[in-house]
Amino acid sequence: MRRLFSTWIVLAVLFLGVAAPAGAASMLADLENALMCKCKDKCGKVLINCTCDTSNKTRADFQKLLDSGLTVQQIVQQQVALHGETILSAPTKIGFNLTAWVTPFAAILVGGYGVRRILNAWIRGKKAGTPASGEKSPDPQEPISSNYSRRLQEELDKLEI
Amino acid sequence: MNDLGEFALMVALATALYGCIGYVLAARGNRLDLYLSADKTPVIVWGCVVVASIALWKAFMVDDFSLEYVWAYSNRDLDVFYKVSSFWGGQKGSLLFWTLLLTSYMVVVYFQNRKRNAKLVPYALVVMLTITLFFLVLLNFSTNPFERIPLPPEDGRGLNPLLQNYWMVIHPPTLYLGYVGFTVPFAFALAALITKNLDDSWIRLTRKWTLISWFFLCMGNLFGAHWAYLELGWGGYWAWDPVENAAFMPLIIATAYLHSVMIQEKKDMMKVWNMSLILLTFVMTIFGTFITRSGLIQSVHTFDEATLGYYFLAFLGVIIVICVSLIASRLPLLRSKNELDSFLSRESSFLFNNLVLLGIAFATFWGTIFPIVSEAVRGIKITVGPPFYNQVNVPIGLVLLALIGIGPVIAWRRATWAHLRKNFFKPVLIALVFGVGLWIWALPSNRAEVYSFIAFVLCVFVMSTIIIEFLKGTLARSHLHEETPLQALGSLVWRSKSRYGGYIVHVGVVFIFAGIAGSQAYGTHIEQHVKVGESLQIRDYTLKYERLGFIQENPTKTRAVAQLGVYQNGRRVWTGQPEKEFYKGQNQPVSEVDVRSTWKEDLYIILADFKEDDSATLKIYLNPMVSWIWMGAWIIAFGTTVSVWPDRLEARRRLERMKVQDAVFSPAQE
Repeated sequence: MRRLFSTWIVLAVLFLGVAAPAGAASMLADLENALMCKCKDKCGKVLINCTCDTSNKTRADFQKLLDSGLTVQQIVQQQVALHGETILSAPTKIGFNLTAWVTPFAAILVGGYGVRRILNAWIRGKKAGTPASGEKSPDPQEPISSNYSRRLQEELDKLEI
Repeated sequence: MNDLGEFALMVALATALYGCIGYVLAARGNRLDLYLSADKTPVIVWGCVVVASIALWKAFMVDDFSLEYVWAYSNRDLDVFYKVSSFWGGQKGSLLFWTLLLTSYMVVVYFQNRKRNAKLVPYALVVMLTITLFFLVLLNFSTNPFERIPLPPEDGRGLNPLLQNYWMVIHPPTLYLGYVGFTVPFAFALAALITKNLDDSWIRLTRKWTLISWFFLCMGNLFGAHWAYLELGWGGYWAWDPVENAAFMPLIIATAYLHSVMIQEKKDMMKVWNMSLILLTFVMTIFGTFITRSGLIQSVHTFDEATLGYYFLAFLGVIIVICVSLIASRLPLLRSKNELDSFLSRESSFLFNNLVLLGIAFATFWGTIFPIVSEAVRGIKITVGPPFYNQVNVPIGLVLLALIGIGPVIAWRRATWAHLRKNFFKPVLIALVFGVGLWIWALPSNRAEVYSFIAFVLCVFVMSTIIIEFLKGTLARSHLHEETPLQALGSLVWRSKSRYGGYIVHVGVVFIFAGIAGSQAYGTHIEQHVKVGESLQIRDYTLKYERLGFIQENPTKTRAVAQLGVYQNGRRVWTGQPEKEFYKGQNQPVSEVDVRSTWKEDLYIILADFKEDDSATLKIYLNPMVSWIWMGAWIIAFGTTVSVWPDRLEARRRLERMKVQDAVFSPAQE
């Protein structure tokens, strides 16, 4: 089972890895997604989400830069040089900023490990407690009375989950 | 009336303070006289807050600009509809509105439990009164909505044009009903901790409150998304703005609670965990309020006068300290006999569901506060926008979607491989066949499309599991009771409202996932400057720009309306009329988009700009499956209604359990 799960994970990673770089969407949209609007009101919106006059002008400027042959990466670098790192819509994946990306997944992995340990402990607890119960188990050969059958039906009717 | 409103707030403050002290002293000293006296305070506080609210509403209605708040958020030309909603348009009024809802909930709890649950209710009321007290302190001493202007101006500044939308009347109250609603389970949880009544009576008492609050918070989030979609004019519905995140986090944590609490109800396990989750949900609602009102984090939603950060930070700190100390001190009492038969069980799937939900909540929290962390560490306030959340939360969300399908089908206690094969063979097969078909029909070409592909396959898997569950139940009932399939389906749902209501909610969630997957990956847009008579093409739609007209609606508002004929396969199918609205005294005009919405896709038109020769810049979005998101909202609403519908059978079962546990009936009754 574990091997099957690992195979699935590897396949999924390969699948995502192959598919990821194939993006041929509009370069302007990529730029709009990568950068924040820099309007005076400090609207705090990603450029692609902003509708103010400044954002319209910025889009037109970016289109000109793209037409002049600059790549998305070059324009982004140019903007960071001009306005600083805060112009980016997401943290970079280097240095301290990497913690932004890694921490949520690390937390889930640690949590997953914790859940696994908790479940194991609960299962061990159950196994340890099982022999102590010693209740008389019903004889499977014993015929079910009509009274019991009716009660069972009532219980089944009431059964919630 | 203003004086009366101001006075009512003061009386409410004094009464709430008296109520808190009275209840506590009565409990400590076993003083019946004090208890009887304090017992009237929730109703008095509520009455005073109602009077203050009516006073403020009246000031809006009669254009009383002697009140600074009315002047700042209204004017003479404002529609009555928006005058009503201006009440919560700014910080002061929204705090009063919050207090109004909180005290209203408190009064309902009071009357609901007057003659029962005496062990918990007085303490729960103390908690609610204390929270009310905090808001009343703010209203009386920091953000008084009845603050006067010495020389009242002739007219007001007017409501922000973005708020002049009918969703303004629906979205904030819905969200607040959710936010404030979680005060009730929080108060009962604290009451249980204080009184050491740590069986699951507090959970049963607040089950419906939690479900209803969850429902309102869920709807509040979705209504907010719908509003953003229609009003902000950028073609999207969710921007992962810090304030959106603040409303999203408690919803996710509450969802985790709603699932894990089932394990406590059925197996008497996870008491510490459930207690922590409900406390955390409330803490996150206050954190959200802190974000909105602190000015610490930049957002389009934050209030202009975001100066209450320190108050809310202090309040948040006090709540966290109290919650942590109480849980720590009651830990021995909260320990339950945690035993599990097998790793393969519904219990463990619920635990993983909790892990994933909390993972999403944590990722969102981390992204929201990372700018502050980054500023503290590096001195640079990094921006964390949608690309971060989409890359982090989407994969986690897909795991959650898979668990929605897996969880309800695994047996409680122990699932065998044979059982799993039996339950999952058909859904997995259907999903695989669908996946292969989809792969052949539309090969994913970028990361977004890959994620969407996985999402669609999982949606089909989850829907299959749910449909099969309904089918199995219906056929069994039909066979056992000789009912028609429709009758059997009806009685199946009717007899297990909680279970099947939950499944219906899951269907709504699947619709939302499908809507997000479709719109995020397969949408497209164009932006073009056109003259009258020219056409634009987007996929199989042709849009002919026909004319531009101007309408002076009132002295303060002018509308520029573009008209476009929309053709599909040569046939005129719709006339689009996007607008730009100009408000006197506002620098930026407001775009009013026009949307042709079908189950398949939304044609979304924005009038971005226009020139004197009537030529216009138009932005056209084609957003596939967005309507599925709103449909999902209605399905969730229906599912929740089914779940919370009074259940005679459940009431009987509960009564039997209560008799056995001898838990919460009041000594007076006994």
